[in-house]
Amino acid sequence: MKVLETIPSRERCAEAGWHAYDFMLSRPMDDEFIESLRPLGGFLYMRMLRKPFFKVESEHFLLKGIRGDEFFRMAVHGDYQDEVKRVEKYVEGFSRWKEE
Amino acid sequence: MIYLNNAATTYPKPQCVAEAHAEALCAPPAGQFRSGGQSGGRDVLACCRKNLGKLLGIGNPERIFFTSGATDSLNQLFHGLERKGRKVLVTQTEHNSVLRPLLNGIAADAVTETVPCDKNGWVSPEAFEERITAETGLFVLNHCSNVTGMVQEAARFGEISKKHGVLFLLDASQSAGCIPVDCDGWQADALVFTGHKGLFGPQGTGGFFLRDGVRMKPYRYGGTGKDGSRLVYGEGDFEYEVGTQNGHGIQALNAGVEYILERGVEKIAEEERLLMKRLYEGLTEMKGVTVYGEKERNRGPVLSMNVAGLRPSELAYILQNGYETVVRAGLHCAPLIHRALGTEGYGTVRVSVSALTERQEVENFLEIMGEIAAAAGGGKK
Repeated sequence: MKVLETIPSRERCAEAGWHAYDFMLSRPMDDEFIESLRPLGGFLYMRMLRKPFFKVESEHFLLKGIRGDEFFRMAVHGDYQDEVKRVEKYVEGFSRWKEE
Repeated sequence: MIYLNNAATTYPKPQCVAEAHAEALCAPPAGQFRSGGQSGGRDVLACCRKNLGKLLGIGNPERIFFTSGATDSLNQLFHGLERKGRKVLVTQTEHNSVLRPLLNGIAADAVTETVPCDKNGWVSPEAFEERITAETGLFVLNHCSNVTGMVQEAARFGEISKKHGVLFLLDASQSAGCIPVDCDGWQADALVFTGHKGLFGPQGTGGFFLRDGVRMKPYRYGGTGKDGSRLVYGEGDFEYEVGTQNGHGIQALNAGVEYILERGVEKIAEEERLLMKRLYEGLTEMKGVTVYGEKERNRGPVLSMNVAGLRPSELAYILQNGYETVVRAGLHCAPLIHRALGTEGYGTVRVSVSALTERQEVENFLEIMGEIAAAAGGGKK
């Protein structure tokens, strides 16, 4: 899995004081990828939905997405913008480890 | 797609609105020959004023002025309205289009005070009256909450305002076209509306009504297409529509207003009320779903809810990306009402219908919500 691009999301005022980004991925997210995000924070995975939804919540950011989509959204508090790079590295690092 | 974000902008629009907009864009510009806003032999601006007057209970439609929407209207009114006192009373349910201009100094010397609402978004007329002092010059009432759909007793607020000589400004942004509005009967001195919601017009249309005799200084001046030699206005002899008007938009707005008048706003209100009743009942049956307000008095086409275990933005994300269902999450630009609802942290998910929402869409939405509520740990109560 590669992060092709991280783009500011249109969802701006939904999370007051937070900034949102869409992580555009090289392929659709599957169960394994979604599970790989578990160590990043509090994890919720609603598998029983028609399109399963996940979220990962840490102190300074929140990830959310839907299985099968080629993107997930990250909301990050304005004071912790560096977390965007950390998550990007984590996603790509996990994928490299898996491929090796 | 299921579109339940009509409180933001109605979609779809009636076919006649799209046709009127296209027709306006394809026709020679109105006023090209200094003959007013002629289109097909009729003055569209005058026609739209007349139709708006009929719909909003305004006997003197000449006093309706077009703007780019409610925010523009409110800024103009706050800036220029002559008040007898500094104090401006607003309700806790107001939108940021009211709060931000006032709290950022658009109304010179104004001191803004809030009249609280209860946990359902209802504002007591008595609580308003108690706050009136000799210094109170203006009262702003959000007729229908864009968060809970609560409809306030405008007539009663009008009576109280009149009794104390306070200017009464009615914000009908969320109610115009959805529920009957009687500006004259309710003794409103000014009323603001926007075109893109219940009136089915395009974004960037709207306006305000200013009762004859209520004095307001404009905050912008410019060309009006008449009496071009006059450079300075006398006191009270102002013009409020300056620069080139959004004639194309107003022609489409007029088509939307005509559509509502033809269907009948009472009939639309009843149809929307039935859809909302079904939503209230369906959602309140679901375990883990909290619906805010009370359905008896929340008579507008809007409701707010939350699902336990999910933030509003997460629920909206699931609905949008998993079910192609459009709602809106957050504070809905009305931050103060959330303190009364207990939702000031993350807000709510807002669901709103229009005169073109189908019963089947509501049923499909409830089925989807049942699935999500069950997955989030709920189910039937």
